[in-house]
Formats: sequence, C-alpha cells, structure tokens
Amino acid sequence: MNTVLEVMDLNVTFPTRAGAIRASQQVSFRMQKGEISVLIGETGSGKSVIGLAVLHLLPEAAIISGKINYNGREILSMSEKEFSRFRGRDISLVPQNPSGSLDPLMRCGKQISESLEIRGISNLKQSTEVENILSNLQFSDPKLTAASFPHELSGGMRQRVTTGIALASEPKLLVSDEPTKGLDYLSRKTSMKMFLHLKHIRKDTHLLITHDLDLARMIGDTIHVLYSGEIIESGPVDEIFSDPHHPYTEGLIAALPRNGMKAMPGMCPGLIDLPSGCYFYSRCPYQCEQGKTIHPAIIPVNGRRSVRCHRFSR
Amino acid sequence: MSSVLQVTNLSKTFGHGDIFRDVSFTLNAGETIGLFGPSGCGKSTLGRCILGLEKLTKGSVLFEGKDIFRLDRKERSCLQAKMQMVFQHPEVSFDPRRRLIYSVTEPLVYHEKRESEDVLHSLLPLIHAVGLHPGILDKYPGQLSGGELQRAMMVRIYSLSPHLLIADEPTSMLDMSVQAQILNLMKELQKKNSTTCIFISHDPEVMQVMCDRIGVMSEGKCEIMNKNNFSEWIQPLLVMDTMEKDHYECLLTS
Repeated sequence: MNTVLEVMDLNVTFPTRAGAIRASQQVSFRMQKGEISVLIGETGSGKSVIGLAVLHLLPEAAIISGKINYNGREILSMSEKEFSRFRGRDISLVPQNPSGSLDPLMRCGKQISESLEIRGISNLKQSTEVENILSNLQFSDPKLTAASFPHELSGGMRQRVTTGIALASEPKLLVSDEPTKGLDYLSRKTSMKMFLHLKHIRKDTHLLITHDLDLARMIGDTIHVLYSGEIIESGPVDEIFSDPHHPYTEGLIAALPRNGMKAMPGMCPGLIDLPSGCYFYSRCPYQCEQGKTIHPAIIPVNGRRSVRCHRFSR
Repeated sequence: MSSVLQVTNLSKTFGHGDIFRDVSFTLNAGETIGLFGPSGCGKSTLGRCILGLEKLTKGSVLFEGKDIFRLDRKERSCLQAKMQMVFQHPEVSFDPRRRLIYSVTEPLVYHEKRESEDVLHSLLPLIHAVGLHPGILDKYPGQLSGGELQRAMMVRIYSLSPHLLIADEPTSMLDMSVQAQILNLMKELQKKNSTTCIFISHDPEVMQVMCDRIGVMSEGKCEIMNKNNFSEWIQPLLVMDTMEKDHYECLLTS
C-alpha cells in the first residue's frame, strides 16, 4: 500500500514538578500518499506535539512510547544520527512563527537555495529554481522577493517564504504548524490559495496542524480532531463539517462567527489531572451516564469515520 | 442624547508620511464602531490616538464634551480612568512578576485609593460573572492560558466601569471556541454597563457580529459603513467559499 506515515499509539508525557503532563495519548492515524491530513484542536490539545514527534524534535525530557512508521521504517526509536538523514530531506517542517524562523541577515532567495544545495542542485540552476518555487507560492514578482530581506516582507509573505524553504528540498512528507496564525484576511486568503494551488500541482503528502477551520475545510482530505491530547473524531473533511458526531466538533463549528458564535461552556481540563471519565463530560450538552465514570474508546462509525463518544458505542 | 465620543478631522503623520487623514465620527452611549483593515493600515494607531497614547498631528477628540489634549494632568487622569483599552496580546498585558490579584485590583487601588483586599471583595461578583475561579488570581500570568488572561483583563477594565472601551484585536491570538466565549462576554458586559466600544479587528466575520457601524481603513482614509453596506463590500474579499473553491479547482485542472 501507499501508506506514507503511520502513527500508532503515540503517547507523549512531560514529567514536571507538579505532575506528569500527558500531552498526547494513544494517538493513532495513517496517511496515504498525496493525502492532506489535518490535525485540528485548541491550544494545549497536543497537536503540535504530534508534529514534533514525527520530526524527532521533542525535548529530551519527554517520555515517548508508541510507533511512527515512515514508508515502512520505524522512525521514533531511531537515533538522532540516523534520523538526521530524513529531516529536511524526506520530511520537512513549515514552522510556526515565520518571523522568528527566517535568518534576518540573509536574502530570502538565498535561504531557499540553501535547501536546494542539499539536493545537489548546481549554483547556476539555483536562481531559476528559486524563482520557480516563489512563483508557485503566489508571489507576483519572484525576482524581487528573492532579493528581499525578511524584514522587508509582510507577515503573510514571510509565511509563504518559509513554506518555500520546506518545499525546496522536495520532501515526501510536509508537516506545517499553524501556517495561518496571526495573518489578516488578505494574507490568509493568499496563503489558502497557495496551499490549494500546491495541492493540485504537487500532490504533496501533508500533515497540517492548525485551528483554522476554514483552512482545514479548504485544503484538507481527512481531519483528526484533538481534545486534551486525544483524537476524539476522525473522518473525511466534508463529512465532518456537514455532520459532526462528537459534541466538541459540533461546538467548534457552532463557535464560528458566521454560525452564530455560540460558545461552549467551560474550559479544557488541565493535562495534569485529567478526569477519569470522558474528558469532555463537564462541557458536554448530552452528558450520558457512562461518561461520568467510564472513559470512552475510539470506535469506527460507517467505515471511514471514527469517534470517541459513548453515544455511538451501541 | 449626547455623544460620548466625538472625533473630528483626526490626522496622524509619522516621519515617513500620513497614517490617516481627516477621520471623523461620533459615538453615542452603548454604540459599537468597528475599525477594519489589513495589517499596517493604521487602525491600532487611530485607537491609540483617541485614547491619548499617541499625539495627534491634527484634529480633535472630544470625550464627553471635553478635549482630552487640553486638560491639565489631574483632570486628564480622572477622565482617562473612564476610557480603557484591551490589547491584542493578553500574555504581555500583565506584569509577569506580579500575581494576577495585584494587576486586577491595581486600577481601583490607584484611582480610588482603596485597600487591595477591600477592592477584591467588591470585585468578586464581576470575577464570577466573567467565569473565573477567584483562586486563579493567586497565580502568575505565565501560568494561565490566553483565554483566562483575557477574562482577567475584562475584570481589570470593567472594575472602573469605563464609558469608552477600545478593544484592539482582543481575540486574534485565541482559539475559535475561546474567541466565542470572550466576545460573548464582552457583548454582555457592554450591554450591562452601556459602554461605548471601538472594536479593532482584521476579521470581517467578527466585525459583523460585534459592531453597529464599521470604519473601513485603507490608504489613510476611514470610510464609515453601516452593517449592510459592509457585508456587501466585504463579500468579494472574503475567504473563498465552497463555490469559489470549485471554480478554482476547475481552473487548475483544465
């Protein structure tokens, strides 16, 4: 099969003085070649931790268990030396906070061609290749952008340059962390266009981490909704948006301003002392009897979807 | 009814040119005006000018009939207690070395010369109203989430029962579900206190929910629209809806 990435029972725990923070629990999903999977969740739901685990970038203090297979090879247990052959070549990251990720003293074109050098592209071809990449990223004047320093560009443009750096190494798996965070409506629209364009011309396998529901709906194929470190619902994008099963997913969609901005009561539980029953119980509009004490397992619904909710366990 | 805020021909110039020119509008009690535009169009600067945090180049701001730039220090301080601002980044709006309880009670301790404990006691109903547990106030800002801090900010600001509130992208750094909670809370508090509000944002959807009128800023001008005109104007600029997505995909595949 064409499975590019398979995450199995990933657990990530950070030991702290106040107690163990269970940032990610029993996370499992797989990605086919050319698929865009979206991890959606709020701050502290553990979505970035999964991205960092795939890239081997978690701090040493983290206690990790589970398996991550990339093209049939287990990468989670690899040593740093072994894995460094993959990072930035096979698997690339578009980091959060583009302003802090770009070198302020280097022109943007040069920063992109550094990735090309790794691929062994000669100096002569580099500049045309950089311009090719930049024009694919919706830049109207690629030459000018290549010659600019990061501070001369707007936040949205910098975000697209960091995407360019990640793409220049022709990765087989792209991981992007909150690419539209903090952008205004115009830059956000351009970024969405860029991702849609890239989806059609390059067909990258792409793990998108975001809390931007519009972006997820626009470019995603599959969605995994995270809550308190767990996947609570997975399925194809269109089905999740038209018919959400989990009450939290329902709540997220209803909280959009265009859907009336109905807020869910309460807050996410802290990751140190999680309740023994369903993590969503205290905020759930249905509050079934089992949810108070029994933690629901994730169960398949109608073949392609799965949900972690007692209401579907019959 | 007399107007709370009257802005006349406001202009601001920094070294390199005009930020905005001849902005005029009047706000009545309980009304909300939105300032909308892309990053760098001057909407935050306009908000800061109205509050007196920036000097004006031209024009005047009358707050409850008084020109804040012509008052002496003492009068201005009294008046400014009634105009408050919520900033974009809740995590840097609090003193990181002080417990939250200090920052939340500080305005009343300063303006009304009261004891901190007395102030806290009188603020308890408000603290409950914003959905915070009073125990949380013993923590430092670094230990709390953005949503909790923005709630604490609401307590800090509404403790002075302001007549004018300027909210500078209060939820752009928050998650969608927390944004809904905070904005609903702001609306509720605003209604209860009939606060006049200037709401600065770059999210057109939030604008339409929160504001009665919307000032669209571009190239130094600020054009005031009512809600309907704004929705019509913004429609083509909005994030591609599903129809446009299909159209775009057709273009790419053909």
